[in-house]
Amino acid sequence: MASSSISLKRREQPTTRDGDQLIVTPLGAGSEVGRSCVYMSFRGKNILFDCGIHPAYSGMAALPYFDEIDPSTIDVLLITHFHIDHAASLPYFLEKTTFNGRVFMTHATKAIYKLLLTDYVKVSKVSVEDMLFDEQDINKSMDKIEVIDFHQTVEVNGIKFWCYTAGHVLGAAMFMVDIAGVRILYTGDYSREEDRHLRAAELPQFSPDICIIESTSGVQLHQSRHIREKRFTDVIHSTVAQGGRVLIPAFALGRAQELLLILDEYWANHPDLNNIPIYYASPLAKKCMAVYQTYILSMNDRIRNQFANSNPFVFKHISPLNSIDDFSDVGPCVVMATPGGLQSGLSRQLFDSWCSDKKNACIIPGYMVEGTLAKTIINEPKEVTLMNGLTAPLNMQVHYISFSAHADYAQTSTFLKELMPPNIILVHGEANEMMRLKQKLFTEFPDGNTRIMTPKNCESVEMYFNSEKLAKTIGRLAEKTPDVGDSVSGILVKKGFTYQIMAPDELHVFSQLSTATVTQRITIPFAGAFGVIKHRLEKIFESVESSTDEESGLPALIVHERVTVKQESEKHISLQWSSDPISDMVSDSIVALVLNISREVPKIVVEEEDVVKSEEENGKKVEKVIYALLVSLFGDVKLGENGKLVIRVDGNVAQLDKESGEVESEHSGLKERVRVAFERIRSAVKPIPLSASS
Amino acid sequence: MGTSVQVTPLCGVYNENPLSYLVSVDGFNFLIDCGWNDLFDTSLLEPLSRVASTIDAVLLSHPDTLHLGALPYAMKQLGLSAPVYATEPVHRLGLLTMYDQFLSRKQVSDLDLFTLDDIDNAFQNVIRLTYSQNYHLPGKGEGIVIAPHVAGHMLGGSIWRITKDGEDVIYAVDYNHRKERHLNGTVLQSFARPAVLITDAYHALYTNQTARQQRDKEFLDTISKHLEVGGNVLLPVDTAGRVLELLLILEQHWSQRGFSFPIYFLTYVSSSTIDYVKSFLEWMSDSISKSFETSRDNAFLLRHVTLLINKTDLDNAPLGPKVVLASMGSLEAGFARDIFVEWANDPRNLVLFTETGQFGTLARMLQSAPPPKFVKVTMSKRVPLAGEELIAYEEEQNRLKREEALRASLVKEEEIKASHGSDDNSSEPMVIDTKTTHDVVGSHGPAYKDILIDGFVPPSSSVAPMFPFFDNGCEWDEFGEVINPDDYVIKDEDMDRGAMHTGGDVDGRLDEATASLMLDTRPSKVISTELIVTVSCSLVKMDYEGRSDGRSIKSMIAHVSPLKLVLVHAIAEATEHLKQHCLNNICPHVYAPQIEETVDVTSDLCAYKVQLSEKLMSNVIFKKLGDSEVAWVDSEVGKTESDMRSLQPMTGAASPHKPVLVGDLKIADFKQFLSSKGVQVEFAGGGALRCGEYVTLRKVGPTGQKGGASGPQQILIEGPLCEDYYKIRDYLYSQFYLL
Repeated sequence: MASSSISLKRREQPTTRDGDQLIVTPLGAGSEVGRSCVYMSFRGKNILFDCGIHPAYSGMAALPYFDEIDPSTIDVLLITHFHIDHAASLPYFLEKTTFNGRVFMTHATKAIYKLLLTDYVKVSKVSVEDMLFDEQDINKSMDKIEVIDFHQTVEVNGIKFWCYTAGHVLGAAMFMVDIAGVRILYTGDYSREEDRHLRAAELPQFSPDICIIESTSGVQLHQSRHIREKRFTDVIHSTVAQGGRVLIPAFALGRAQELLLILDEYWANHPDLNNIPIYYASPLAKKCMAVYQTYILSMNDRIRNQFANSNPFVFKHISPLNSIDDFSDVGPCVVMATPGGLQSGLSRQLFDSWCSDKKNACIIPGYMVEGTLAKTIINEPKEVTLMNGLTAPLNMQVHYISFSAHADYAQTSTFLKELMPPNIILVHGEANEMMRLKQKLFTEFPDGNTRIMTPKNCESVEMYFNSEKLAKTIGRLAEKTPDVGDSVSGILVKKGFTYQIMAPDELHVFSQLSTATVTQRITIPFAGAFGVIKHRLEKIFESVESSTDEESGLPALIVHERVTVKQESEKHISLQWSSDPISDMVSDSIVALVLNISREVPKIVVEEEDVVKSEEENGKKVEKVIYALLVSLFGDVKLGENGKLVIRVDGNVAQLDKESGEVESEHSGLKERVRVAFERIRSAVKPIPLSASS
Repeated sequence: MGTSVQVTPLCGVYNENPLSYLVSVDGFNFLIDCGWNDLFDTSLLEPLSRVASTIDAVLLSHPDTLHLGALPYAMKQLGLSAPVYATEPVHRLGLLTMYDQFLSRKQVSDLDLFTLDDIDNAFQNVIRLTYSQNYHLPGKGEGIVIAPHVAGHMLGGSIWRITKDGEDVIYAVDYNHRKERHLNGTVLQSFARPAVLITDAYHALYTNQTARQQRDKEFLDTISKHLEVGGNVLLPVDTAGRVLELLLILEQHWSQRGFSFPIYFLTYVSSSTIDYVKSFLEWMSDSISKSFETSRDNAFLLRHVTLLINKTDLDNAPLGPKVVLASMGSLEAGFARDIFVEWANDPRNLVLFTETGQFGTLARMLQSAPPPKFVKVTMSKRVPLAGEELIAYEEEQNRLKREEALRASLVKEEEIKASHGSDDNSSEPMVIDTKTTHDVVGSHGPAYKDILIDGFVPPSSSVAPMFPFFDNGCEWDEFGEVINPDDYVIKDEDMDRGAMHTGGDVDGRLDEATASLMLDTRPSKVISTELIVTVSCSLVKMDYEGRSDGRSIKSMIAHVSPLKLVLVHAIAEATEHLKQHCLNNICPHVYAPQIEETVDVTSDLCAYKVQLSEKLMSNVIFKKLGDSEVAWVDSEVGKTESDMRSLQPMTGAASPHKPVLVGDLKIADFKQFLSSKGVQVEFAGGGALRCGEYVTLRKVGPTGQKGGASGPQQILIEGPLCEDYYKIRDYLYSQFYLL
């Protein structure tokens, strides 16, 4: 419930930008169907879901609005399934933009992706300039695409993600992304109903903070599978029994396999139909059979059990058809042909020659994109325009039996109710359907804790997540659990979105980093008496201790507990210390001193000055420095009454007590800044403390 | 503070026995692997039997007998009932391995330890995971996450990561860092600093692993040499593990060379094995899945290998040289044993071992150097009963059946009595009656029952035998007869009709012949003969075990550098060797427990969680180092609203800390860096680097093993006071971050 409380908090204080901003922007499929592409950005990580093209447009117009984003900033691109409207702009995006992140899809999707797009390039009859990519681009993109198995967790730059079965088509996945504890579920196209070969979409075990969900079916309810299969087979049976021909324009992959399974089984159970041929006119589907035969692990138990005996995808009553030339149109038959939208190709050729005979039937088996002929004939117009430009009467029966493997309203609402995401973003649906769905969903989640959004393309949805940063203190630092007010100091190591605090000498134990100490030893020519050096050093440094070197027995001095000065020989002394900025500074001053001794031996001046006076002078100097530095930081600094410094920034006033370091101000931000600045300045002008580790 | 972890080996320490370890994480008991050997020695399972009932989850790592062989027996006889977790291939191929084991064993002995049903039951409820799937355990294991990761070695082979509260326990045995034809190398090296690593020392002393190409060449040369002189080649293999790699090598070589010598793969389950393997492409190496994605060539569509499931097919095969891969690799049972006995005395033949045989088996004996000239082999065979034996058997069976029926009828009587308990009260007098009747007809009572067996049981309460009648009295309420809505629901399943007939065997896909063998209930017995087999054929052993060698194991462990290390599964020498090595070079906590010795590897790591406040974080400037970022923090502990510790910025001045240099200096890299800056550098003696004319730089103090830093590095830079000195010192500083 942490997630919902976050959204509650957001609502209470909508003006303050509490937490980190999360942006979701559809670049395609925002209040439309086609060219799915959703951009998401949170805490410096950028993710793109899907990369499709719009089937009703061609050329650049079919692409998602890639110019809204900088492709080079995208860390991960996740493709849910192989359909054109989800994957087809991938070769373009990979090869023709500055994108250099990583791309993931499931095994089956990748195998079919290549076949499908190669076919797409061949089939689409556009001019060379309009071609978004060619076969080479597809082949090159194959090397960049990485595969992910269902449930496998992958981490890229601190972004964790994994996928669930989505139903819909073979290899279809829903992606769950976890960035610093904020979870986003992108369903892609999904179906919660098990069919002949696919599993139903899984219900993720974690509730996401944001659910980006498809809304293709809007508020429609699907008929039960049993009834629609019966309608389907009844129409076909009666049509062929009367000597008619049945045309099923279908997309080559996905639903087509399901329909073929139904037909093959129906024919097997009705021996009287066995003399009526069934064709599937799709070389592509034929090629993909090997993929369907291999990835049975992604299908449901029914297929896997059938597979144990014979391959259900080796059809007994269905034969492939390569082109219309091989087809002798002599009597009743059933032809399943591509493309599904009847735009061109074999399905259109058959439609043109069969549409005026009322004995024939055409079954539209699924969702049709706006602007295609298949969508037009569902409304049963009197006439249709043929490919050759002529018009012909539409006499054939047109049936729309939706085998669409998109979740319907019942599935969507139960899915969302199970997950209870505080933020729902609807994509992949026509604007009207989407609005209806939104209204109806509002009635399902009446408590007002759920935001439902329907951004249009390029419209950003902003959300704020106050993701707590948690660190784990480990090792020596954690030996004692501190109480309030204790101080904790150590190295903070950030990896991905996890933080650890540890003592510096344990860095190599708990992380793959290591520390080093650098010991320095320099020799300086010095011919004078060692005692002189000692004398001069004592004048400058607080602590100069005499000792002797253990090995050589030579006299040595330890200056400021850091630097060892040794008399190496008559003519040389050596300095040894362990590197750190202060020791380096101390050694530098010793070096300068030693060099000056050798140069100015006679000039030993004892400056017996008044100690009090010098301290006074010092104090003045310090004050000057502090003042100068504060001015350089804040600009308007004045000496106010009672000795306090008054600092004004943008109309806010802070009063600083120079002695105690206390700051008074209405504005907490300024107060904090002044305090920190003053602490730092003070520590800079103070003499070097004797021991750094204290 | 840390998660409590105890490790208790149940089998497979200080020797090469099968693997089985009890790992308890905060009181949740994992049994990791449940192996058995090919001899099915029940004494090995004694430690397991003592703890079986307390186990909460079983994790399996590889689909072979050594890693999962005892699962059916333990489930059936030892009271193991925990859910089992494995990858899909381990589940499926493990099941086939057990079928093959059972059927092979059944042919040569009266195996009564477990049945095929026990195997099915054991594997029925395996929860299948994919690689890198973080599975959150339910119930008692709340808070524990398990995940299998690629181990190499076998298809689906896993190293297991068990995570609780951010602490990792990693179990990695029999992994292979080298990529093979059908498998990717392990991802073990991607884990850093787990709390506990449990690993094997199996190959710790094995170092001269030949390069893959050379080994493959030798392998194929040896085989073709023998084929060309007309000999046969036998490769004793496992059922569904390492054999896949061998099949691919042979298949590839045969298609490249256009060899016509037949290759046979003979196990009881060979064709199902390959059928399943064909659909496991997701689990195989990148190159295999890539070739399928681009050209739809399934690597396991074997064109040169004939799959056989019984020996008659092999005997009927055309004469002439051939290659046969047959199970079991140990030569203790299975087709391989029969073929070995047949072929051993022909000097043209070759028996090629691809892995070290299990201890105490025929294969191991033949692998000793020098190989034995003769071996004594007990050949057992199952033959159908005939003649008197058959009659005796049938009589025995009938008697058993009768007894069974009698017992059943008695049980039924009891049931009837119980179900009609209410009636009994009313008919008490009759009961007395019955008794008397019984006494009277006591002499022919049993005969009576003999005739009236099976479903026609005289209730004890009746005087004479009668057909049992149960009044299914329907219940009534104020609306009439109570109905069950389920009876009237139209099942939506009729479309599945066609499929369901053909569904048949739901779980295991079995070859027809195998099925017939399983269903073969013809009475049979096992006869044994002792044979002295002259071993004149060539015996060659090559390493196709698919395990990392000693050197890689050491560098792998060093790379992972666990806080605590537990060593298992190796002979005492190897265990001791690796233990010493790790103690000296990698980590101070190395354990090698004995069987049933529990070692507590609870990390003594202290830790607590704090929230990092926004105020603090806005002042922290991270520096990027590799894939992590580091910063120094000085903070004060406060409380958040939810009463959690949070770190706030210091209110007073932070006490100065000793500066830390963070970074890893490689002298060689630094040399290159300096020369790129135009400084003359060269290596002087003793690992020192001479920079410019006078300045020298060296690493001093104990240097850790490569990768596993054993402490902070110490670098000494010395030289006379000169400009060069300061310049080089600046370059040196540039290699580190000062915090």
